[in-house]
Amino acid sequence: MMQENADILKPLNPADAFTLAMDDEIRREGMPGSLCGFALVLNTAPDIGLLKARIQEFITKFPLATASLQQHGRRFYWCARNKQRAIFLQHACPPTDSEQAFHQTKLQEILNRQEPRESVSPLEFHLLDGTHRQVFLLRWIHPFCDARGADLILKYLCTDDTSQRHLFNTAEITPLVNQQLAKFSFWQKIRLFFKAKQHIENIDKLQSILPLENCRKAPEKLSYISKRLNTIQTQRIAANVRRHVGLTGTSLYYLGCMMRALQKLQPQQLGDAYCVPYAFNLRKSKALSPVLGNHVGAMFAQAPRELVQNRERLFKHLKQQNIKSIREQLDYAFLPLMWAGSWLSLEKYGKTLRQSYSSGSERSSFWFSDIGQPDLSGHTFMGAEIIDLIHLCQISSPPGLALLSCQFQGRLTLSYNFIEPLLNADWIEELHTLMVQELLAE
Amino acid sequence: MKQTLRKFIFEELIFVTDPAQYNDDENLLEAGLDSMGIMRLIMFIEEQFNIILPDNEIEPDNVQSINALTQWILKHQ
Repeated sequence: MMQENADILKPLNPADAFTLAMDDEIRREGMPGSLCGFALVLNTAPDIGLLKARIQEFITKFPLATASLQQHGRRFYWCARNKQRAIFLQHACPPTDSEQAFHQTKLQEILNRQEPRESVSPLEFHLLDGTHRQVFLLRWIHPFCDARGADLILKYLCTDDTSQRHLFNTAEITPLVNQQLAKFSFWQKIRLFFKAKQHIENIDKLQSILPLENCRKAPEKLSYISKRLNTIQTQRIAANVRRHVGLTGTSLYYLGCMMRALQKLQPQQLGDAYCVPYAFNLRKSKALSPVLGNHVGAMFAQAPRELVQNRERLFKHLKQQNIKSIREQLDYAFLPLMWAGSWLSLEKYGKTLRQSYSSGSERSSFWFSDIGQPDLSGHTFMGAEIIDLIHLCQISSPPGLALLSCQFQGRLTLSYNFIEPLLNADWIEELHTLMVQELLAE
Repeated sequence: MKQTLRKFIFEELIFVTDPAQYNDDENLLEAGLDSMGIMRLIMFIEEQFNIILPDNEIEPDNVQSINALTQWILKHQ
């Protein structure tokens, strides 16, 4: 509950409530909540003095970055903290440790740190030292911002021109869900609401295939394996994307390949179809404002098992499903559902988001996010060259598996995030081998 | 059922000083129930009474009063 006299900085918007419900679901499983991260692997140490000054400037300009998330009645608010805490932390690699192992262990440790919702910092910056490589981690929590917001924060830190940095702001605007909804009339809103409900009911007619069907172990920790494909592979994949789904459907190609890789790895798994939530963004592309807050909702891509077994038919199906969603304005249809959901208790909203209406089983076969090409112009960070990028996120179990993709310096990066001991590194390695085969298949 | 509906509507969706002055035939749309309120009401009804309300039946005749809502719910129980 909210502390007395706490200064409310900002209420959560309906899209924030959507990600907060998932944070709550993860916490209910004994895990740390919806922590996420972008880790930049650097070839040398960044300019620490400049980095500290830029971070300080950022938190002065955006006090929400050090706020505390608190419940007041049934709603949640970002509130000012009584006592500030450091949000830039440096970690030295012990001389006896392997740098790479130290970096991996430390990243996992940070993403697995348990803290109550009210005390966890919405944003933290970590620098993991090393002689050969350094890692800069931007760790955020949903619902503070989404991946696009995190990308903008990195862009802010990297922008040397003061006047350009002034363009970043969090102008007080009506939440975008409400803005979009205001465009529809009384009965149009209701029709949209039912359209989304009907879409979910149709999805729920098929039971989702999960990667963890037979596992009864409790989730213990988030782990990750990040794989970077070379430029030739990435170009071949881009050609496949154009051939199968068109460039606007790049995410669908990764999604379809992942469905096929899972099907090859676990052909006997129970269920009727792979069903994957993917983010749609309510914000104008490349807008600098607002930096903070969520403006995403989830759509679903679903493919029955028999379609997954046929590459041509699968991609055609995913593309047609996506076109139909846009033509029928299903992205708009989810807005009233998100708005209404934001009034439910977190527990009820979480169940509504995750569980099939008909069977009560988990709806998501895996989580997926494609951030495209991160906006890190120059491929440098505070004087250091960025040589790799790792994308991290906590996940509910089931599915206990997330595929996060991006393209950086012309190379496709796949970050597999998974919950141990439900899934393990050997299983992920097998999955990745199959995934690469699928991505590169003619 | 009517009491459950009345409690939710007047505590969550329509704010009036004296709910008692609104009888079960009172027009809820005129009293201030808007489209977002109807969505929340439908979610509440479906969960509370464990029913699915068909979208093709969303029309003023079914949602305009507590009595109309009650008839609509009973039809699907």
